[in-house]
Amino acid sequence: MLDPTRIDKITSDLLRPIRINNAFKLWMTVLIVALVICLYAYTLQLKNGLGVAGIRDYVSWGMYISNFVFFVATSLIGMLISAVLGLSGVKWAAPLARIAEIIALAFAMVAGLVIVSDMGRPDRLLYVIIHGRIQSPIVWDITVVSTYVIISALLLYLPLIPDLKICADKLEKAPKIQRDIYKILSLNWNGSPEQQKIISQATRALAIFIIPIALAIHTVTSWLFANTSRAGWDSTVFGPYFVSGAFVCGSAAVIIAMYFYRYNYKLQDYITDSHFDNMGKLLVLVSVVYIYFNLNEYMVPYYKMKKFEAIGIHELFSGVHAFLFWSTQILGLVLPTILLLFKGMRKPFPMMIIGIFVLVGGWFKRYIIVVPPQEHPYLPIQNVPMNFKIYTPTLTEILITVAPFILVLMIITILSKVIPIVSIHETLEEEIENPKPLKGM
Amino acid sequence: MFKKNIGIKISTIILVSLFSLQAFAQAWTIPAELKAKTSYIPFTSSTSKEGEDTYTKNCMSCHGNPGKGNSMKALNPIPPDLAGKVTQQRTDGDLFYIITTGRGVMPSFKDVFPEQERWKLISYIRSFNRQYVQVLSTFNPQKAKLVKFDITYNAVNHLVRVAVKATEKTGMVVLKNDSVDIYAKRYFGRLQFDNGMITDKDGIAYFKFPTDLPGDKAGNVEVIARVTDDNYGEVTYQTRMKIGVPTDKPGLTEQRAIWNVVSKSPIWLVVVFTSGILFLGLFLLYIGFSLWKIRKIGTL
Repeated sequence: MLDPTRIDKITSDLLRPIRINNAFKLWMTVLIVALVICLYAYTLQLKNGLGVAGIRDYVSWGMYISNFVFFVATSLIGMLISAVLGLSGVKWAAPLARIAEIIALAFAMVAGLVIVSDMGRPDRLLYVIIHGRIQSPIVWDITVVSTYVIISALLLYLPLIPDLKICADKLEKAPKIQRDIYKILSLNWNGSPEQQKIISQATRALAIFIIPIALAIHTVTSWLFANTSRAGWDSTVFGPYFVSGAFVCGSAAVIIAMYFYRYNYKLQDYITDSHFDNMGKLLVLVSVVYIYFNLNEYMVPYYKMKKFEAIGIHELFSGVHAFLFWSTQILGLVLPTILLLFKGMRKPFPMMIIGIFVLVGGWFKRYIIVVPPQEHPYLPIQNVPMNFKIYTPTLTEILITVAPFILVLMIITILSKVIPIVSIHETLEEEIENPKPLKGM
Repeated sequence: MFKKNIGIKISTIILVSLFSLQAFAQAWTIPAELKAKTSYIPFTSSTSKEGEDTYTKNCMSCHGNPGKGNSMKALNPIPPDLAGKVTQQRTDGDLFYIITTGRGVMPSFKDVFPEQERWKLISYIRSFNRQYVQVLSTFNPQKAKLVKFDITYNAVNHLVRVAVKATEKTGMVVLKNDSVDIYAKRYFGRLQFDNGMITDKDGIAYFKFPTDLPGDKAGNVEVIARVTDDNYGEVTYQTRMKIGVPTDKPGLTEQRAIWNVVSKSPIWLVVVFTSGILFLGLFLLYIGFSLWKIRKIGTL
């Protein structure tokens, strides 16, 4: 049995952030003001049509769709950490599972809204379902992304049930309604062996089921591109290329979140240096896989230089997109991978900085995948104004692109203010199995 | 220095344009009697509007918007801006000849547009020229109604016999020495058979007909014959003849296919998709049931 003072210490440490403080209010105010500005930009688009954005007939998928791909990509991390690492018995990743799940849920939920921002007539959204053709990858995408949202939410909720019971019991200062909600959601949890057994079975089933769903969401997203015969998208390697890139983005997002939770929530004892070290190694692993797929994706057409692929390759390697392409590949992928090989770089602060570079690089990488191939269709572009030939995002478009990020931050902020960000139940269990003195004890 | 440069530039421009004008002018050799040909349709704003529709769909991709100088410069020779001087200085007959016969990159529209539509196109082109005064042809288009076709098929020697006559009040007039073409109607446009023929002294022309032309289920083919006569104009006649090979192939949109409507999607896809949804439903039921059990155990 565990020492009751230690139980109290762990419980109170992990429950401490669950309160409304001034920092939270200030942060939420900033987010709300920013969101209102972005929503104003969206009302302009609703009123005047998609013409307020820089997208035109030829480059019709601009920042919005790049953003969508980025959001779907980042959400994949939930599956990697809580399902793949969890099922394969990687113990160190367990305290990070909830952070990963929150990120996954927030990004997956908002990804759907990002698509709506690219629709000229969002009031016809329902038609996609009513008149959708099951032959279309767009319908598959809607199906798997909404499935992923449901499964991610469940994968967040099920392991949370014991913690919700703790919240209901221990958070005496919380408003009554909040405690009532905890009570209802904790489903009369009493920690009996039967309940433990059911929950571990169901969680395990969810963890298994989410793996193919997660692979499907990003493979199907890649098929939105790869299933068209457009030079630059017409590639058989797009599925795994997208999935491997997704893990890079997601790992970076988790690292950044870990850093902020660790310092803002004073969780140094729970999100330790060794977690950062391990996440650094994980990021190196997924980055190396992604570099390998990049090599495939660009090396093969570069070697052959087929007429139409060659135009795109030239534009990326030495043409108008060269600066963006090389800085994304080097600063956002190759350099971080090399730096993370050194132990000194796998410390919280340097890793947070590297994480930001990787995440920003990840966004621009999606832009490079989505936009440039549309500038060189097989049929010549004729008799159109200049802004049809060269895509330039407008300010309105940029604001509408920023809005989903604000929404994600709001969802993450609110979730981490109502539920413990590291599982109390699992930390206690781990302590019983593997007692180790915590700092300050 | 500056002036000298300008001088060189101007003389170069003049030389080049003279040369190209000459080269262009030499390019079309149009017989005098066709040059003098004029329209029997009076050019009005409504004919010009009809011509514009035809122009937008068929001509604009190369010639651009008249007066805007945005024709397709990648072609050789560069398609002229039809509101420009070069085009407007031509006679109506010239334009009709160029549209009808074509040459090089300029396609022939003889089989694409009937004569009336070609004149309406010219009506549209002329609407950019304020100085233009139309000279109407004395030809009476009503006379075309008098022309009668008689088309028969000989299955032994695979010859289609086309006889053309006009029923004037004074009696039957045989249309001899006129050019005749025959076609089969397709989804898009027409398919010409054999070469164009000239009617003999009895107003008859023979065409070789292929033995492997697919018809509908019963072997029917829509045959179109066209005669061009100085007195009666261009006259076409369409008739259904049972001379094709009976064909009963399902259309591309009748089969289950990835590109078809949802009710005709491939079976494997329907199975995979619905079983996926079904599995998801069952799985969610299982999770829901597990949650219900947890709650029930807790209340005991």
